[in-house]
Amino acid sequence: MEKSIYLRMRHRVLVQPNATIKIGQIVQISAEEKVAQEIKNIVIHQVSKKDKNIVVIDVMKVIDQIRRQFPQIDVQTVGPAQTIIEIAIKKRRFTPALFVAVWFLLFVGAALTMMNFHEDVSMREVHIRIYTMITGDEVLKPLLFQIPYSIGLGLGMILFFNHFFRKRLNEEPSPLEVEMFNYQQDLDNYLIITENKESMKHVDDN
Amino acid sequence: MTIKVLLIIFLGLGSGLAVGGGFVAFLAVLGIIPRLTQLTKTMKFIRFYEWGVVLGAVFGSWFTLNDQIFYLWDLVVLPVGLASGIFVGMLAAALTEVLNVFPILAKRIGIENKIVILVMAIVFGKIVGSLFQWIYFVK
Repeated sequence: MEKSIYLRMRHRVLVQPNATIKIGQIVQISAEEKVAQEIKNIVIHQVSKKDKNIVVIDVMKVIDQIRRQFPQIDVQTVGPAQTIIEIAIKKRRFTPALFVAVWFLLFVGAALTMMNFHEDVSMREVHIRIYTMITGDEVLKPLLFQIPYSIGLGLGMILFFNHFFRKRLNEEPSPLEVEMFNYQQDLDNYLIITENKESMKHVDDN
Repeated sequence: MTIKVLLIIFLGLGSGLAVGGGFVAFLAVLGIIPRLTQLTKTMKFIRFYEWGVVLGAVFGSWFTLNDQIFYLWDLVVLPVGLASGIFVGMLAAALTEVLNVFPILAKRIGIENKIVILVMAIVFGKIVGSLFQWIYFVK
């Protein structure tokens, strides 16, 4: 009798260089215990130098391998159609000098941006106007208003990214975390298409 | 005469509608109010926040257009200044361009875990730039 197995590709897997990747590492399987064990041990890919640091394994390749060993099995797939395998080549070392340079760049850039913005929207006149409106005094440098304003600028940004309340009671992510996630998702989508040799076949390639 | 007055009222109302609509659209795009309610867990009061924005806009435009002066105590400007700063800071933080830069930058120099420090660079840059401008830069 024909039996069904269900499998789901994992989204992203991290392996060591020169690892031998078995199906069990990249796929979740729901099947009879014995069959599942055997399928999990099928070798699907041998990582080599020329893979560089990303390999994409398509679900078709997995089904192919399974059917070669169990021709009578009916394979049902659920979820994503490929797994991204990241090969842990030694991480680029974290260089303090570069980091300080970037930090300085952002710092000066932010300061300049703020000053340009204030000039652009005539923030000074508005401040003088507000000061006069509240107190009735004409002051050319309403620092009493402007210093809390400047501190507020930073506070507002921290508030938006929520770095003060590190201990969150709920699990809602901050906008930055969402943005990091979206960026990673975009990168993954790009890799899935471009690194997957099966999805970009040149039919008339000559 | 009546037609003139009616026309002017109509024009004024129309311009006000356009500007007010634009302002609200801008706020909605940036999503500052949802973010604030998320932080303070006060989703129930979002109606009141709406009215806060509306009244603030009307108050600000009315009293600046009329050159109103309140003759209050000097220190009243402290909370007003702080609130203005926080609001502008949130606006700046919410601009999606800023949000898009961090993930790319952090990945490029390989410091995904220290992204907070990069944000702090921008935060301090803003504070220092602003203070510098008000205290030394302007004459």
